Amino acid sequence: MTSHATISIEPVGVRWQSMLPPLAVLALAGLGLLSSDYVVTVLGFAFIYAIFCTGLNFFMGYTGQASFGQSAFAAIGGYGSAILCADYGWEPLLALLFTMAISGVAAVFVGYPTLRLRGHYLAMATFALGLIVYEISIEWTSLTQGYMGYSGVPPLGIAGFDLVTVKQQLVALAVVALFGVFVAARLRQSRFGRALASIAGSEPAARALGVDIARYKLIAFVIGALYASAAGSLFAHFVGFISPEVFGVTMVVQSFAMLYLGGIGTMWGPTIGAVIVSVLPEALRGLKEMQDIAYTAILIFILIFAPRGLAGLSALFKRDRAQTREGA
Amino acid sequence: MALLSVREETMRFGGLFANQSISFDVEEGELLAVIGPNGAGKTTLFNVISGFFPPTSGSIHFDGEDITGASAHHVASSGLVRTYQLVQLFKHLTVAENVEIGSHRVTRGSVFSALFRPEWMRRQEKAVCEGARELLRFVGLEDQADVQADKLPYGRQRLLEVARALAAKPRLLLLDEPAAGLNTQETEALAEVITRIHRAGTTIILIEHDMSLVMKIAQRIVVLDFGKKIAEGTPEEIKAHPDVIAAYLGGTEMTDA
Amino acid sequence: MPNAVEFLQSVVNGIGVGLIYGLVGIGFCVIYNASGIVNFAQGVFVMLGGMVCQVLLAQLGIPLVLAVALTIPLVAISGMIMELAIVRPMMHRGATLFAIILATLAAQIMIERIVLLTLGDRPRTFSEFTPGGPLKIGDVAIGYQLFWILGCGAFLVLLLWLFFTRTRTGRALRACSQNREAAQLLGIPVSHMMLVAFALSAALGAVAGILVTPTQYTAYNVGTPFGVNGFIAAIIGGFGRAGGALAGGLLLGVLQALAIVALGAGFKNVAALSVLLVVLLLFPNGLFAGFGSKAKAH
Repeated sequence: MTSHATISIEPVGVRWQSMLPPLAVLALAGLGLLSSDYVVTVLGFAFIYAIFCTGLNFFMGYTGQASFGQSAFAAIGGYGSAILCADYGWEPLLALLFTMAISGVAAVFVGYPTLRLRGHYLAMATFALGLIVYEISIEWTSLTQGYMGYSGVPPLGIAGFDLVTVKQQLVALAVVALFGVFVAARLRQSRFGRALASIAGSEPAARALGVDIARYKLIAFVIGALYASAAGSLFAHFVGFISPEVFGVTMVVQSFAMLYLGGIGTMWGPTIGAVIVSVLPEALRGLKEMQDIAYTAILIFILIFAPRGLAGLSALFKRDRAQTREGA
Repeated sequence: MALLSVREETMRFGGLFANQSISFDVEEGELLAVIGPNGAGKTTLFNVISGFFPPTSGSIHFDGEDITGASAHHVASSGLVRTYQLVQLFKHLTVAENVEIGSHRVTRGSVFSALFRPEWMRRQEKAVCEGARELLRFVGLEDQADVQADKLPYGRQRLLEVARALAAKPRLLLLDEPAAGLNTQETEALAEVITRIHRAGTTIILIEHDMSLVMKIAQRIVVLDFGKKIAEGTPEEIKAHPDVIAAYLGGTEMTDA
Repeated sequence: MPNAVEFLQSVVNGIGVGLIYGLVGIGFCVIYNASGIVNFAQGVFVMLGGMVCQVLLAQLGIPLVLAVALTIPLVAISGMIMELAIVRPMMHRGATLFAIILATLAAQIMIERIVLLTLGDRPRTFSEFTPGGPLKIGDVAIGYQLFWILGCGAFLVLLLWLFFTRTRTGRALRACSQNREAAQLLGIPVSHMMLVAFALSAALGAVAGILVTPTQYTAYNVGTPFGVNGFIAAIIGGFGRAGGALAGGLLLGVLQALAIVALGAGFKNVAALSVLLVVLLLFPNGLFAGFGSKAKAH
């Protein structure tokens, strides 16, 4: 069964255009510093989701697989950081790295048997993983405080310097998000990244060229889990409160809306999608209650009419330009 | 010692023998063709040799190593690289990147070297890039290096698949009906490329339907019919072989098709 | 340790819920066979069945028979809309499998939110079809609704069987499931069949929702657990076989009821999902694959 996403790859060389997206992210963060705390919060969520989606893109866009349960790893990161920092007084950064390690190990154990599945079975199995962690976060009340949620998570900080204001945190989130994209891009533009792309392109051909498919799928899954876990931890620190609903099915659908809107398989698509989907409902005030309906409507619309998202749109323009050049 | 030796290879699907006790050797530097009517078991033979399924019985040795039942990627990484009857390109990638992926077997490095890019890694990347360009020149695709692979016309997609396999620096190259779907002109261009690959020292096994192509470039031919090897020899010997004539003229072609 | 009465009681409860899972599972199979797609929004039909019926009963005060007669076609129409508005255009444009799955999941959330906005988050229920009960056999109590579930379940399965073997449309649907291209060549309108499949599958979900609501409750978010459990039932039954899905549902329902006795209600969903993973990983062709092949042949 062929079941991979459409993918487009940015050119490798550094051109001035490639500096535009990171500058845009920094400009957004800068804009946030001049705005109200409310705007800062919205942008903060956007950057956190950008990290989550960049990881998801690794597994779905680059490798052409599907995970409907990445929220499980965000929950591990979020609850792990919350519990370690609030109850045991850990350093936030240490807790973030530690929970990432836990998520990574969990991803290896879960992914090893699961990634043998394909198509619907892979989709359903990963979906079940997300639901299992969600149910556990509700039911294991002695650990997670159930529906009530976990509050009192301290803000981010490094070695005693707490980032007390949301604006300081916003800058930190922007830097982490950019770093996340940088790492993803480096990995994609390498022998390792090409091996992933080969799996998305044709598994038989990849195998015939000596690519160990099971191994590379697992590594991509683990990388996606690490990003998700970091996003979960950052969310806990940024908001100071988490509850099971944060990591529910809505998170899955919302992140997919971002990924497909921005352009799955592209370097900046996840970030662009995360910013637009986060900011758009805020721009359309009064839609507050309709937010989830808006997300799902956007997602379905994109899936039907523009499965390559905005990146597909830009590629269209590029092709037009190229054609006019050839014609001239 | 032979580079590849297939011994008593049998592959059964249910009650059906796709391959039955097939044995042959391929010497280093040889160009061997495997021919036979439709359904004779040629592609099954390739699938078994290249590790896509384990044989029901028998053994396959490559370069002295027993690769019977080894996984496909393991077989490929030991230097036995195949192409497909239906082109299997990485359609969403550029022509150049397709070839660059081909070098997977002969390069190294994973997550950490990708992230930190030590000196050797940068050198390797450069070599991979230049190697890919060179191979594209070799098959005549250098002008399309940055085109998305599925935008190529069909005949050129075939050439790209061959170039990609060459990037793996195969010790033994298995070509599964590379001329299928090509017109005469394209077939000639392909024959020329295969001959050049062979002259450059690569051992090749070729499955082919196009008899004129086979007779022109093969040094030795193995003939399969109904899953069994019925003849083996030089093109001249095969042309004169009574069983081969019977298999091709005796109507099996029609009943099988 | 649970005693014999508790054990029997949970088996009885499990059979009721299990039949419901089985019906949802058949719903998955019907769509999958016709289109090759797993509709992740299957559970939403169960929710809609219960909700719409409750609204008709409580708000309009119409009799049960009429409410049921209205609910089923209404929910079936929602299934048809899903097919026409989402699945068909995506298949038409050659969307990837994962994209279609995702779109059905998005549709589920969208429908849930619309229900939440219009009807609120209050859990709703309505009374059992036959008042009175439960029937006591020794210490084991059997609610009258269980008989309704069993009776209607059996009746539905009979109807389905007749539909798939005796009617033109049913046979055409089966032809699609065996080979879509061949069915197309034979002049069977394949896209029309997909519409039928979605309507049928939604109707099955609606019936399940109507039957089960009196024994528990319905709310905007009950769809996912029913959908997941129905999917598990279908998987256990070796995906695509209606009989298998029914048997899988019964097995799952009983196992779950026993797990509740043994582990407490809290982790019942975790237990069910773990069963799903185990079945997926160990029996990718379903537990009843061996039995089912015969059923599929005729």
